[in-house]
Amino acid sequence: MNRPASVATLVLLALIGASATYVLQRSSAPQIANEQRLLDSRQLLDVMPAALYDNQPLEQPLTLAEPVLRYSTLSGGYRATRSGQTVAVLLRSRSEGYAGTLELLIAIDANGKLLGVKTLEQRETPGLGGHIGEWPNAWLQAFIGKSRTEPTDADWALKKDQGQFDQIAGATITSRAAINAIHDALRYFDEHRALLLGTDP
Amino acid sequence: MKRTVRLLMLVPLLGATQTLNAALGMILMLSVVIGLFAVCMASLRNHLASTSVLLASLVVAATLTSCADLSAQRWFLPWRQTSEVYIGLIALQCVALECSGFLRAPMTKCLKRCVMFGTLMLVTGGLREIIGHGTLGRGLSTHWPGLVLFPEGLHLFTLVPGALVLSGLLLAVHQAWTRRHSVIKETHRP
Repeated sequence: MNRPASVATLVLLALIGASATYVLQRSSAPQIANEQRLLDSRQLLDVMPAALYDNQPLEQPLTLAEPVLRYSTLSGGYRATRSGQTVAVLLRSRSEGYAGTLELLIAIDANGKLLGVKTLEQRETPGLGGHIGEWPNAWLQAFIGKSRTEPTDADWALKKDQGQFDQIAGATITSRAAINAIHDALRYFDEHRALLLGTDP
Repeated sequence: MKRTVRLLMLVPLLGATQTLNAALGMILMLSVVIGLFAVCMASLRNHLASTSVLLASLVVAATLTSCADLSAQRWFLPWRQTSEVYIGLIALQCVALECSGFLRAPMTKCLKRCVMFGTLMLVTGGLREIIGHGTLGRGLSTHWPGLVLFPEGLHLFTLVPGALVLSGLLLAVHQAWTRRHSVIKETHRP
């Protein structure tokens, strides 16, 4: 085989390769973006049972009034509906943990009861407070069904602080931050109920 | 060169076999890309000067790997997110296989080794999932949650060092087995 023909074959090969990759990339970019969005929303929304709602909550963001709370800050909210009726509100809450920001996604149903809590971001000590980042999470599941008034304000604390909740072993500050953030979110829901549920005229 | 190829094949064997599902995805990816690569190179080799073969193999491997990666993103995104690093490596494996002359060996020998490697990956993936997570076949289908064998597993085996330990154990089992069948027992008696 002579040299020019060999070089020509190589150039042709490179052209075919580059264009094939380009065409495939262009044609599948929308699908990939769509898949990514689906995956992201599934990861966020497994905080509550999928049978509960029939809309795309992440596409219905809420504007939150006065998002700075006592122990935490709400950075966003979403509304989950079923046949047009609001069934749950999701609140993104940021608070200070032991080693950095602790970001929780808190799902509250229309009656003000907690549906689930999921950790979105944490920098706690691996092996101790870091357990809060695991999913499914037995410790966070203990809060399901609780509301602002049930238990009472004094009981919304760790057993160490004369409350009724266990703490994550060896991570008092992390546990305290999480409990306060959850209680804050429930209180916020109670105070802004009509606005969050969309029943405001 | 042979040793380089072996070391390169060790990477997906240890890294991309956290679960049976992950191992199956990697096998599919490897077999499609390496299979197409072998076909392309077989037809190209005769049309190129020997110095250009390396360049051609680079171009073909890069094209096939990128296309396979894009398809994986499109259809198997959850799997692709866990094995992202190892997909890019397939291109290097293709080039190494071409350089080492593995692909020029007789077809049956190639196939036999590929099947053996695939089986090894499946066994490693299955064992790591059973020991590490206590389940088997989780994530294979959206309708089937997988076989739950134990409620909790040994976390070490979900990590890469655990895979290395497991492959060492498998190697020891293999050696013990072949030795028992090949070596005549030594005795001190005359």
